[in-house]
Amino acid sequence: MTHKAVQDDFERQLRPLWLSAHAGDEKAYHKALTLTADRLRGYFARRMAGFSHDVEDLVQETLLALHLQRGTYDASVPVTAWVHGIARHKLVDLWRRRGRSEQVFEAFDDLPEALHPVTCDECEAHHDLALLLQALPMAQRRSILDTKLEGLSVADAARREGVSESAVKINVHRGLKRLARIVREMP
Amino acid sequence: MRTDQLVDLLARQAGPAPRKAVETRLAVAASVGVLVSAGAAVGVLGLNPALTAMGAALVIKMAYVVSLALGAAWLADRVSRPGTPWRRAAWSLAAVVLAMTVLVAVVTAAAPGTQRLELLLGRSWISCSWRVAALSGPALVAVVWGMRGLAPTRPRLAGFAAGVLAGGLGALGYALYCPELSPVFVLAWYTLGILVPATLGAAVGPWLLRW
Repeated sequence: MTHKAVQDDFERQLRPLWLSAHAGDEKAYHKALTLTADRLRGYFARRMAGFSHDVEDLVQETLLALHLQRGTYDASVPVTAWVHGIARHKLVDLWRRRGRSEQVFEAFDDLPEALHPVTCDECEAHHDLALLLQALPMAQRRSILDTKLEGLSVADAARREGVSESAVKINVHRGLKRLARIVREMP
Repeated sequence: MRTDQLVDLLARQAGPAPRKAVETRLAVAASVGVLVSAGAAVGVLGLNPALTAMGAALVIKMAYVVSLALGAAWLADRVSRPGTPWRRAAWSLAAVVLAMTVLVAVVTAAAPGTQRLELLLGRSWISCSWRVAALSGPALVAVVWGMRGLAPTRPRLAGFAAGVLAGGLGALGYALYCPELSPVFVLAWYTLGILVPATLGAAVGPWLLRW
């Protein structure tokens, strides 16, 4: 298959999942993110030769960004174009923070995509979730623990914490946003 | 943290994606901007009592700045979304300036040679651009703030779009005071005034719109 055909194939696979996820289908979202993670791993691995231990950090940072920014996706655009836009942004941002010029990076942009996504069983990033959560203000941490780790519904979490449902949603969003910032600023 | 754990965490109870996140943020920012700008124009400079008597001149002036603001809002929307085409929105801005330039060429050609300088300078050319720029300041702060919650991957272009939008809103406020009737004046001095926040936006974009 050609490079373009592979991209189209991936788009066909990802798009229906992404649109269902957009409408609130949690299972579709899980599957879409898993597929995307495998593609991102391949994308970053080829551009980060020599920094392979950073690849998983970058995959996770990008997944967080995808989640936090999912409201900016416009359905008239291929999902892969949007995902790629964010992945490239995260990669350039990492190089910039490492003091590499963007010009050096441009050359990497012409690399052909791998024909196969890269999967792994125990893809592990440097940061520890428990430690990251410790760094959050209590209300944000508790909302994330309730809904994201214990799997309580937003309504149940709101009842447990004695706050409104919208407060839980806002806490989760702000907490994840803060996590993303902490992860980005880690050495 | 393992990546599959992160995926579990993100997907669980995720709910639907926020609806119209970009449109909402930009609309709120633009509304704040235009209200502050119009309020400052009327409060500090005063409402022009002859406004309703200006007729077509006012319509042309307003149409120009509103079209610029709409084109800039479209561009700001596009560049706040990763991987989304934005060139048509940028061309729409160029088309607005071009259309105004054609109108100005016709008006200038039709005017007697002795009046042409008057059409360009009016009575307030010295202050117009700076007042437009000053009135767009609050709008620039509001729009850049709005964009910070979005995902611009071209921060310089995004800052420029925010600046043109803010400039258009500032010019809209200034038009409530401005006594000038000539489209030549509007094209020259309003555009120059709008270019101030646009340049400022492009300058601060890479610094303020990083995420």
